[in-house]
Amino acid sequence: MNPLAIDFCGLKLDSPIVLLSGCVGFGEEYTRVAGFSNTDAGAIVLKGTTLAPRLGNAPHRVWETPAGMLNAIGLQNPGVDHVIREILPKLDFDETRFIANVCGSTVEEYAEVTRRFDDSPIDAMEINISCPNVREGGVAFGNYPGMSAQVVAACRAVTRKPLIVKLSPNQTDIAANARACVDAGADAFAVINTLMGMAIDPETRQPIIGNIQGGLSGPAIRPIALLKVHQVYEEVRRDGTPIIGQGGIETADDALTFLLAGSATVGVGTALFYDPLAAKKINAGLASYLDSHGLGSVAELVGALDSGDALDVPASG
Amino acid sequence: MRYLDTDGYPWPSRTRRIPLTIRGTIFLEEAEILEHRAYPAEQYIVTVSAPEAARHATPGSFAHIRCDPGIPLRRPLSIMRAERASGRLQFLYKPVGAGLAALATREPGERISVLAPIGRGFEPDPARPRILAVGGGVGIPPIVFLAEDLRERAGLELMVMMGSEVPFPFDLVPATRAIDGVPETASQSLALFEQWGIESRLASGAGLAGCFDGFVTDLANGWLRASTKQELARTQIVSCGPEPMLRATAELAYAYDLPCQVAVEEYMACGVGGCAGCTLEVHGANGAAMKRVCVDGPVFDVRSIYAKPSIGS
Repeated sequence: MNPLAIDFCGLKLDSPIVLLSGCVGFGEEYTRVAGFSNTDAGAIVLKGTTLAPRLGNAPHRVWETPAGMLNAIGLQNPGVDHVIREILPKLDFDETRFIANVCGSTVEEYAEVTRRFDDSPIDAMEINISCPNVREGGVAFGNYPGMSAQVVAACRAVTRKPLIVKLSPNQTDIAANARACVDAGADAFAVINTLMGMAIDPETRQPIIGNIQGGLSGPAIRPIALLKVHQVYEEVRRDGTPIIGQGGIETADDALTFLLAGSATVGVGTALFYDPLAAKKINAGLASYLDSHGLGSVAELVGALDSGDALDVPASG
Repeated sequence: MRYLDTDGYPWPSRTRRIPLTIRGTIFLEEAEILEHRAYPAEQYIVTVSAPEAARHATPGSFAHIRCDPGIPLRRPLSIMRAERASGRLQFLYKPVGAGLAALATREPGERISVLAPIGRGFEPDPARPRILAVGGGVGIPPIVFLAEDLRERAGLELMVMMGSEVPFPFDLVPATRAIDGVPETASQSLALFEQWGIESRLASGAGLAGCFDGFVTDLANGWLRASTKQELARTQIVSCGPEPMLRATAELAYAYDLPCQVAVEEYMACGVGGCAGCTLEVHGANGAAMKRVCVDGPVFDVRSIYAKPSIGS
């Protein structure tokens, strides 16, 4: 038996590693790199997809920051029909599980994109209510539990495939939002999306990112992400709702900490940009840890945090 | 060879199989620095051992380099020379920003992670054998690569023009022939190009000896103006350099009605087409689109990037 295999809301994943939306295009881009294989990931989340095509934001879209980067791509995508007709048929579903990332400007758009993906070979849908880089929709839905629940309920009504809700760290009480989403029918969570940030060029006195603000990712946000995973896990563990923990994960040790905090799978995104073979290395490191600790399955680590007598971490803030 | 499945629309089936041509085309190599030399005005030429990249690189393609383990993102550098036999890659850069400043401190014997070759390079039109190659500043490297690659092709007439505001990090020699439309003040050429039998002339606004005093695109304009109609019908332009220079090159392409390919730069994250962070707005028959500089470029048709200047501008 593969010790890295894990069940994630009904999906049988060969590894707890999930390659994250917005980092790997529509699933084939990283296969350009010799030695990279989609089989190294348990699942791959495709680029955020809207009902109609979107050109995305004006340049510059990325900027390096201390231990991380800002991005504001603006949901550039060819629209859901193109994705289903032209892209999905070219993916090899024998290699890994493919998850769509659903975006919209209205509740109706989220539901319609979800409905169209429901009638496709896609394995699951991630509802992106936390994109910080578009004017309408995105994080506007993700910051308020009531709005988040509305989107989730509308999507839930049109699909029986697993629904993963991608939560924003840019909100007051992430656990309360998770609770509202579970009640509305969410099957899983992705924790966290990027944090909002900004960069300015002192010479030109202009913002560097074309969109003015961007989403911060990379190792810089890892401790924040870890805490948010812990908080959401504490809230939803009794429902058995699994989490994709994500935010600056680059090594097997990082992945282990997220598993211990309660995430069933771990997302890798920005790390791929400097280490395209990161997934392979993390798999090897996890297997070695399981072996040296006499564990038969990575599932035994999920939520196995030993808090000792420490005070409870406040559920919000 | 890996395959993908396309039959049985819309579900994948296992019957009809088409090669996945993009797979395994970029190589990740821990490249040893063989030589790292500093030149005047903060210019560096670094030579590394990266055999797979050297074997597969084409002029205009680039390498995405991890300058230092402490720098989060890789930095794209155009490949200046790629020697298949020895497996060497060479780059010219200025240490602009934290990444390239860190690279400048790396010494021979150290290893750097090189992801290469990346991107669609120059694809000169075989129907136009008279090629004007215009390079400016840190845009010079792909022009050198193209010249070296084309030097033994029969029937090509290559004219290379390079501009720089700082001393060229190459050996210069007096040009041996007069060229119509090129002022006598542009008396120097690159020694390497003389060896290769390729004409080259230089421009600088910084008063460098033996260089045309002005923009490289003005030097190129003089040469084009002196060309006959028949010559222009066989001419195309390839170019790489700073944005104002590319814009001026575009004006030449429109003015003389010449095909023109340019290599462009943009801030870049993944470098393999995954993040759409390095896009550029291009215009084609189907309207505007955002293309990724890394894998859709870095070479683009100049007309897809710059509109025709309005009359009088």
